[in-house]
Parts: sequence; structure tokens; C-alpha cells
Amino acid sequence: MSIELTIPRLEMAMTEGGLAQWLVEDGATVNEGDPIYVLETEKAAQEISAPASGQLVQKAAAGQIYAVGVLIGEII
Amino acid sequence: MQQTLSSNLGIEPSALVEIYRQLARIRAVDKAIQAGLGSGKFYFTYWPMTGQESIPAVLSQLTTARDYMITIYRGIHDQVAKGVPLEKLFAEALGRIDGVNKGKGGSPHISDPQSGSMLTTAIVGAGAPIANGLAFAAKSRGEDRVTIVNFGDGATSIGAIHEAMNLAGVWKLPVIFLCQNNQFGEHTTIPDYTASADFASRAKAYGFAGVKLDANDVAGFYRGMKEVIAEVRGGNGPYFVEALTNRLGPHAGIGDNDELTPEALAAAKQAWPVPRTRALLLEAGVCTANELTEIDDAARAEVETAIAHAMKSPATPVEETLVDVYADPDVPPRRGHYPRRQAEQEPGGERKVMSMAEAICDAQDTALGLDSNVWLLGEDVHDPTGGVFGTSRGLTAKYGRDRIRPTPIAEQSIIGAGIGSALVGMRPIAEIMFLDFAAVCMDQIANHAAKQRFMSGAATHVPMTMRMMVGGGTGGFGAQHSQSLEAWLTHIPGLKVAYPSTAYDAKGLLLSCIFDEDPCVHLESIKLLFTLKEETPVEDYRIPLGVARLRREGGDISLITYGWQVQECLAAAERLAAEGISAEVIDLRTLVPLDYARVFDSVKKTGRALVVHAATEFCGFGAELAATIGRELFGKLKAPVERLGADFAPIAYSREIELNQIPNQGSIAARVRELLAYKT
Repeated sequence: MSIELTIPRLEMAMTEGGLAQWLVEDGATVNEGDPIYVLETEKAAQEISAPASGQLVQKAAAGQIYAVGVLIGEII
Repeated sequence: MQQTLSSNLGIEPSALVEIYRQLARIRAVDKAIQAGLGSGKFYFTYWPMTGQESIPAVLSQLTTARDYMITIYRGIHDQVAKGVPLEKLFAEALGRIDGVNKGKGGSPHISDPQSGSMLTTAIVGAGAPIANGLAFAAKSRGEDRVTIVNFGDGATSIGAIHEAMNLAGVWKLPVIFLCQNNQFGEHTTIPDYTASADFASRAKAYGFAGVKLDANDVAGFYRGMKEVIAEVRGGNGPYFVEALTNRLGPHAGIGDNDELTPEALAAAKQAWPVPRTRALLLEAGVCTANELTEIDDAARAEVETAIAHAMKSPATPVEETLVDVYADPDVPPRRGHYPRRQAEQEPGGERKVMSMAEAICDAQDTALGLDSNVWLLGEDVHDPTGGVFGTSRGLTAKYGRDRIRPTPIAEQSIIGAGIGSALVGMRPIAEIMFLDFAAVCMDQIANHAAKQRFMSGAATHVPMTMRMMVGGGTGGFGAQHSQSLEAWLTHIPGLKVAYPSTAYDAKGLLLSCIFDEDPCVHLESIKLLFTLKEETPVEDYRIPLGVARLRREGGDISLITYGWQVQECLAAAERLAAEGISAEVIDLRTLVPLDYARVFDSVKKTGRALVVHAATEFCGFGAELAATIGRELFGKLKAPVERLGADFAPIAYSREIELNQIPNQGSIAARVRELLAYKT
């Protein structure tokens, strides 16, 4: 079962977030808890961890801002 | 080896394993929430409790579901260990109908009386006054329950905590003030928010014991809490516990606490009780690595199943909006819905001349005699004072000091104690000496009493009566003891508001309030308390909330009013009658629920309406009434619907100003003449 990665809402006022950098290459295997990308919000940059183990499929380019809820990747 | 553990650490190996089982469950929940939020699967605000898991895990071995707990928004760990079913907990956090509170409260407002989790507040420190009420109920019922109220170190600055500690000390309540000192008040740390050296020592100032315990040392914390709980359960009064812990996460969101230096974060992780307890169990030979992994796996499986179920539950639908605001879904006012409630049958038996003060006392006497759950609390309510306006005179001799309770001058502690006792089925009558003082306890009234039924999805409710005296019209009370602030109260969904104008109504309405299932405010005009005496039935009778009364019939205009302005309107009508103007006077008697049906009957007949109240006209209750009359009877009106209230100024000390800034028979009659002269 694949797990979708979308831009999270981590603060009450958050409406969008920047996908600053992928920390894992497209197609690489990740373990649950490994940092997989850097999320930039108005307040800070934060490493987001893999919610599960599996293969990372990137679905959005780094260096851009996306709205909360936009699909940026999957773990399959 | 296990023997050694028991004698060295003072904890049974089996208890330590059970504590670890709770730590594992809390950890699994925390991880799943953070993973869900980080991947975008969940959308809700999370205040992580990572690092603080040991506190409720230990308590779970020293308390049962019979013991009451209150906690705060950073309290998911408390809910898990207290026994709130995880499936319902997740559904609640996600705003789903199968949540423990129907998705109406969310994670910061969990109530699950089955597990003893009685109330969760998102207002810092506000749980403590309510905990006193739970503890009071247990104590007065002779039960050996302990109430534990959790709050953070940041809450130690707020007045509610201090008021609650003071009252708990005076009443020797079986309550534990449990400060989870995670070293942060949101984003601010000591010494930026307090000059106190510690918090535990403050308890002594309130007349009871306080202790500082290291919650990262699970065995030590267990030993310490065991003693504390035994003391409190044994009836030796309250206790304050400062549980030292760490907040490994941010104030809100996910990940590490970025406000700690890397060194401090590393040290805090070193002290983290989850891996530490695991290591202790291994080292002491209580569990094998396999057994611990089994516990972890079971916790994870429980969480996965819970989330899978919760995700299947639908979002709580809009049809639920007006459900659980009150016990009766008919009560919330809404456009186009104007129920006509049945008026009371006037009792025919013996009557006695009573002032309104005597009628109020008589109503309370009746209620106290009928139901042992009724109790009265407030400043000076005991004899010989019997309330500063004598509304409880003589009740102490009859019912004793356990049920007629004088309080410190601390209104948050009064309303909070009422709420807590009402949560478990008592029927408190809380007297607030002046309506003006609602300002110092409005958080308890508006954020807690009023909202608890809704926020808990009716898992709990607050059958409490708040009696408040209203100054004004007498002269000499000044700006802070004379205000008519009823619109503050009618603006809050969840409250009912009664405002009698006669002794007969006061007794019948107050009895209805006391036995209502929702929080009611009974407003008592000081101007009327002793001046207006009338024959009042001796027996128990109830005036249904939401039924207006026709005080004087007329055909030219409807004067719609309440409280002490009823007398002014009647006098104005008398004056106008001499001029050939026939004014009808409607006494609303209850402001919420509001009797629109009988108001419309009157205005349909007269074609003119003037709403009169002592409160400021601008943004007053009359604006609401006038707008609705205007809309519903637009085609039947001979003149615009008018309002007459007080000038927009504080009430003056000068009698000359006061009597003129508030509507009076002269100004009412003048406004009526203007309306009758109106030509379209």
C-alpha cells in the first residue's frame, strides 16, 4: 500500500509550504523516521521524516512553494 | 534480580512492565500523529507531549477510572494512559462523528467520563477551579476518588490556578495539582515569566503540601506519587506536585524542540523516560528484548487499527451544528423558528407575602429540600449574613455548612467549583454578588460552563445555576456595581438567561433554572429585591424558561421589556393611558430561550413595538429583538421598531445622572409619543 506525501499543515495559520530540498533521491529506499525533505514555512525550515519504510517516489520539484495538501511524493 | 528491583526501586516488576506498556502506547500514538501530520494525511493542530509520557503512565498504575482527571490541550498522553479508547480519540482529533465527543471538541477538548477523563481545556490554568468541583462532589458524597488536574509550568502564573489552590486549601479537597513542568511556557522560559525559585513551594503558602519529583525517573516518580495519592485519598487535603519533565517537541507542530540548544536537546533525550524505562526493564532482567518488542508491536498494532477505523468515520456533518448546544435542540434561536412554549399553570394553594429576596430564598430552600445534589456557594452566603442581600438567610441552620458554602472572594474559584460538581450530577447554585463581577469569571462561564455540553458531544453537561445581582436604578452604586450586562450572557451559545421582575416569577424561574440540565443565569435586580412584595405560592412551582408574560393589555403599542424596567414601562403605560394612548407591556421573563411567539402576537395586534432595557442601547439586547420583529412583521408595522436603552456611558455615581441616563417612565412615555406620531 502506498502512502501519499502532501504538504502538511503544521501550524494553525499555515496555507502553503516550500519544498526546499529533497534529502533522498527519487526511487531510493527509505526507512521510517529518515528525513526525506526540507519543508520551509514562514517561521522555519524543518526536516520532514518518512512516515513509513519503502521506496520514495518524488512527484514535485524542489525549490518551489506548494499549497497545503498538494501531493509531492509517495512511499511505495 | 526481580526481587532486587522491587526492594531497590520500590516498585513491583509487574507495575513497571505495565508502566512501560502505557509508555509504548503513548509513544505509538505520538509517532503516528507526527507521521500523519508530516505526510499531510492528517490536518489538525498538535501540541506534542513527547518527553512527558511517564507522568500519566505512572498515574495509570496508581489510579482507576473512578478517579477524576482534568488536563489541557497538550494532553494526548494523559488521555491515552487514562484509558480513552484510541479509535475514538483519533476520530475526535480528526473531527469525525465517531469521535469520543462526536468530533465537536477535537483533541484539545476531550471528555470521556467512562475512563474518568472529565474535561480538557485549551485555556491555560482553567482546569484547576473545575477540578475543585469534582473533588468537592467526591468528598461530599463520601467517595474515596482522587481528582488530578494536569497543567504545565506556564499555567502557574495565571489567576485561576491561584484561586483554585486557595479554595482547595480552605476546603481540604481531595485534589492533586499536577504541574507537568516541561520548562516552557509556550515559547517563554524561566526567568522570563516568573521570579519564583520553584513551584512546589507555593503550596505551603496556601496551607497544604507540595513536592518536586523527577518524572524522568519512573521508579522514583512512582514512589513519590504513591505517597501523594495515598495522602490525598486518605482525606488529608490537597497536594501540589511539580513533576520535572522535558518537552522534546515544539510548542505546536512536529519534530524536535527547536528552542532548546543542541546540547540541551541531547541531554533531554538522554533523560527521556521511554528508552530509559525500556533499558531499566532489560537491565533488571524483568523483560527480555523480545518481550519488550512484543509490547511495542502490540501498541503499534492497536494504534494502526484505531487510525484505520477513525479514518473511515465521516466528518461530523452540519446537521449536528445546533445539536448539543443545549439538551433541547429547540432552544438555540434561529431565523424562522419561533416555538410557542406552554405557559405555567398558576398554583392554587397557600400563598404568603414575599419580597423577591424572600422568594429567591424560598426557591433555594425548596430545591435544597428536594434534592441532595443541590448546594449553594458564593461569597458570604452562610448565616448570619445569608448572602449580602439576604437571599440565603436561614438556610445554613437547615442544611448545614457542607451544603451552604461561603467562599473566598474569588469568582473563578466559585464558578469553577460549581462546574466541576455539575459535571458529575450535582446541581450547584453559584451566587455572584454583582453581575459586574462576571467580568472576572467570564472564562469559566463562557469558555467552560456554556460550551461543555457541545464540546463534549453531550458526554457531559453542566446543570449549574449562576445567580447574579444587578445594580442600577437605585443610585449610589457607581460604575462597577450598576451595569446591565445581560447581552454579554445572551451572546454566548449554551447559556440560558432568566430575568424576573416579580417575586412570583423569581421563585418559579429560579426553581426551573436549578433543575434545568443546562447552565442558567438568574439575574436579580437589586432595585426589586425588597421593594416589590406580593402574594407568592408556598408550594413548589416552575415557570418554564422561554415564556413571556403579558403585564398590561393595550392596542396602540407594545412595550417589550424585562427585569426592573417592567415597572418603568407599567408606570409609563399608566401615564400614557391618561393621554388616551393604550400601551401593552410584555415582560420577557427569560432572554434565552426567547419567547418570540408571544412578542409577535402582541406586535401584530398593535403594529408598533418599543423594546426597553436598562442596558446601553447601542449593541444592547433590544437590537436583536427589534431586528427580528422588523423582519418578521415588516408588512404589519405602522412605525419602525424602536429601542430605548441607556446612554452609552458608564453608570454615574451622581444620582441625577444615573436616573436620567437609564430609561425611566418619563423617557419611555416620550419615545412612545414620538412613535405614535410617526407618519409613513
